Amino acid sequence: MSRWFAELRLIRRSYLSLWSLALLFALSALAVVSGLQHVARQHATIERVAKAQAQDFAAVAATHGKPDGDAGDAAYYSFLLTRDAPPPLAFAAIGQRDIQPYVLRVRALGLQQQLYDAEAINAELALPGVFDWAFVLVYLAPLIVIALAHDLVTGEREGGRLRLLLSMPGHGLWWRRIGLRYALVMMALGLPLVAGTVLSTAPLAGTGAMLLAAALYLGFWFGVALLVGSAVQASATAAAGLIGCWILLTLVLPTLANAAITRAIPAAKGVDLTLAQREAVHRGWDIAKGDTFERFFLNHPEWRGREAFEGRFHWKWYYAIHQVGDETVATDVAAYRTSLLAREQWSARAGYLLPGVAAQSVLHRIADTDQAAQLHYQDSVATFHTTLRRFFYPYLFADRPFTRADFERIPAYVPRAPTGSLPLAPLLALLATAALLLAIGGYRIARVSGAGRA
Amino acid sequence: MVIRIAQEEWRTLLRNRAGVIATMLLVALVLVAAFVSLERRTRIEADRAGYQASVDADFDKQPARHPHRMVHYGQFVFRPLAPLAFFDTGVDSYTGNTIFLEGHRQNSANFAEARQSSLLLRFGQLTPAFVLQTLAPLLLIFLAFTSVARERERGTLRLLRAQGVDGPRLVAGKLMGHGAIALAIGLPAFLVLIGFAAMGMADWAPIALLILGYAVWLLIWAMLAVVISCFASRSRDALAALVALWMVGVILLPRALPEVAAVETILPTRIETEVALHRDLARIGDSHDPEDPYFNAFKQRTLARYGVSRVEDLPVQYAGLVGMEGERLSTDLYARATNEVSAREASQNARVHGFAVLSPLIAIRQLSMALTASDVTAHQDFLDQAEAFRYRFVQTLNRMQAVLIPHIGGEDPRVSAENWKRVPRFAYQPYDPLRSNAASIGGNLMVLLGWLVGLSVLATLAARRIGGIVR
Repeated sequence: MSRWFAELRLIRRSYLSLWSLALLFALSALAVVSGLQHVARQHATIERVAKAQAQDFAAVAATHGKPDGDAGDAAYYSFLLTRDAPPPLAFAAIGQRDIQPYVLRVRALGLQQQLYDAEAINAELALPGVFDWAFVLVYLAPLIVIALAHDLVTGEREGGRLRLLLSMPGHGLWWRRIGLRYALVMMALGLPLVAGTVLSTAPLAGTGAMLLAAALYLGFWFGVALLVGSAVQASATAAAGLIGCWILLTLVLPTLANAAITRAIPAAKGVDLTLAQREAVHRGWDIAKGDTFERFFLNHPEWRGREAFEGRFHWKWYYAIHQVGDETVATDVAAYRTSLLAREQWSARAGYLLPGVAAQSVLHRIADTDQAAQLHYQDSVATFHTTLRRFFYPYLFADRPFTRADFERIPAYVPRAPTGSLPLAPLLALLATAALLLAIGGYRIARVSGAGRA
Repeated sequence: MVIRIAQEEWRTLLRNRAGVIATMLLVALVLVAAFVSLERRTRIEADRAGYQASVDADFDKQPARHPHRMVHYGQFVFRPLAPLAFFDTGVDSYTGNTIFLEGHRQNSANFAEARQSSLLLRFGQLTPAFVLQTLAPLLLIFLAFTSVARERERGTLRLLRAQGVDGPRLVAGKLMGHGAIALAIGLPAFLVLIGFAAMGMADWAPIALLILGYAVWLLIWAMLAVVISCFASRSRDALAALVALWMVGVILLPRALPEVAAVETILPTRIETEVALHRDLARIGDSHDPEDPYFNAFKQRTLARYGVSRVEDLPVQYAGLVGMEGERLSTDLYARATNEVSAREASQNARVHGFAVLSPLIAIRQLSMALTASDVTAHQDFLDQAEAFRYRFVQTLNRMQAVLIPHIGGEDPRVSAENWKRVPRFAYQPYDPLRSNAASIGGNLMVLLGWLVGLSVLATLAARRIGGIVR
């Protein structure tokens, strides 16, 4: 035990180590505060939007909710709000939530012309990326590890103490040194996260999983530090070499991987399906009404026989056109989704080689703030849209009046259940790289001798 | 004497194998980034031009219809990518690049690349600008952090003094040595830019300013490294201080500041804007209400203008005229809402820009995005052009309805398909940053030059200090 205290005293005497740990703690705390603030802002926005939306809806109900009201008008003018409130752990890993919409209004018209609408974002503020705990872990914590561990061996050699240290009885010197620094880094990084979790009453299990990912990721970096530190003679060389590794692994290779993935998997289907949907909807006005209804009855057979109407226009025909438009582009929609998911999958695969990318994808899957989360939200909007359409069909096809009271019966969006999960593949990849690097680093450092320049 | 010190510095650096390899890697990375990014821009531009041509052709192919149907068939416009966007993609990945234009609605620009990518995109995009802004400073730090501290550690400062080198000359020599290296590191990127301009693919003026800006940016980091190396007692301390400065200035501040700005100025959502707009529009009047004061006044004005007393006697379709009036009103309201939102965005951005004095990265980033026409101002210009076009396009169709429909009549009046070819097409006017964004470009250049001046003052102080030590 006294050896551990002796080691702790050494760290306390090193300004660089103390400052690094204090800095990491401060950054982690700041990031958690900033993340909590971001999440609070999103909650406030949702509340504001819900209020504005409620007023709008009430005005529509007042205008169109007459005893002989037309369901077609009601469906046309009633926008319904869908929202995707930040999941509990979003504050730690905001992910794509700063650029993806988390409020969207839909009505019973074609879904595909509404689903991809963008919310107002300030692109310039989004450009550098968000400042959250995940950022501190992936980018900044490795630099702190480098500051703490780059001169473990070289520092002793330069101080002329290496021979003495190695000749002392007992073993486990390096593991003690590494272990203590590792624990201190994890504490400086983890305490603010735990505090944030408690403050936001998020589930501690998710935080535990995040800390596990962090521990593996930082284990990898300690392994790299051991490896490089035992291979070179001078502390400055070790620091330079380690920062070189950091640049490569967190700045250069991920951008290269991104360029390759974007190039290999185009996502143009989004535009294609929008254009195709427009053609389909507007063609509906020029073709025989029977053709549209026939196509519509394929998936809505219950309304067959109710399509006839007098005059040129009836809302049921209008909504059938829109639904047929959506169904026409179903394969394009599927292809678009597949391309987005493929990008996501290849990014996760890049994580098998790049620990930073793996840590990023693990954290955001746990927090449920990645592309998969956005797609899940879109799915829930689509489900709701179907409910909404099917709510109006009986009024439209059975010519039932739509009164003020019916406005109260319009279904409301039910928020999606969180889908945060612990992705095993990238976590195992992290475990493997961390174990490998720590093993090699440990092996190399155990073979360090006092020989060489002292 | 100064030149000899610089030469000695170059000789030392050439012997530093790791430094030479890192420099070569960075140069290679700049070239790879330029190549990859150029290919990407060409592909995106071809895609968007292809889409634009195809939707324009689709518009011509539409059958005979009521003009109002064409108002909602609408037009898609795609934002062309500026030629220099290969050098700095700026916000292009974060802004939607296609807008659906139709009557009485202002739709959002959709399908931003960042929304379609995994989180990998948030690590940054490989462009020459990314390499020069983020990575080059680190390389310059590594090459220069020992420059003066090394001499002090080895006790060679005294030796130099004996040879007649005083503090100012020593510092000037080191600055010259590392300044030249900084410019040499930027050279491949500059040559790419010059080649681009020589081929006539971009104007010389923004290219020259871009080169100037990046040259100053690289010089700032070379100078900073030498100055810190003068003040530090050990090389290691110089390295730690410089890496910390880089981390805060290049990585941390640009990320942390947006949250501050976003909290201070709330950006309303599109939904709120839409709701408010419909409320305001309803307040002006309801054209379907025969008792509505606003539209009754409009009717009286219209009847007076045509010198008739009844709507039925008008030579044009009254509903078409009401449509035009409604479009005018809603477009005005949209313009007001848009201005309000962009003013808020601008105030958020100004909050961040204010910190350029602390972190010159913000200045070079703004300068680079502005000159390559990939910043928010250039995007706003596209949005403005699209909106102005939308208004012309919709009103052309409304006018067709007012003028042509009375002569057609019948149950289902349709205007012949020939007319669609007379409807205007979107012709994007290339955005000239030097004309539209001169103040920001000038301001950011001044900030960068200010940094250079400030560092020169610090270098003079450092030189005096070293003179003291040497003596």
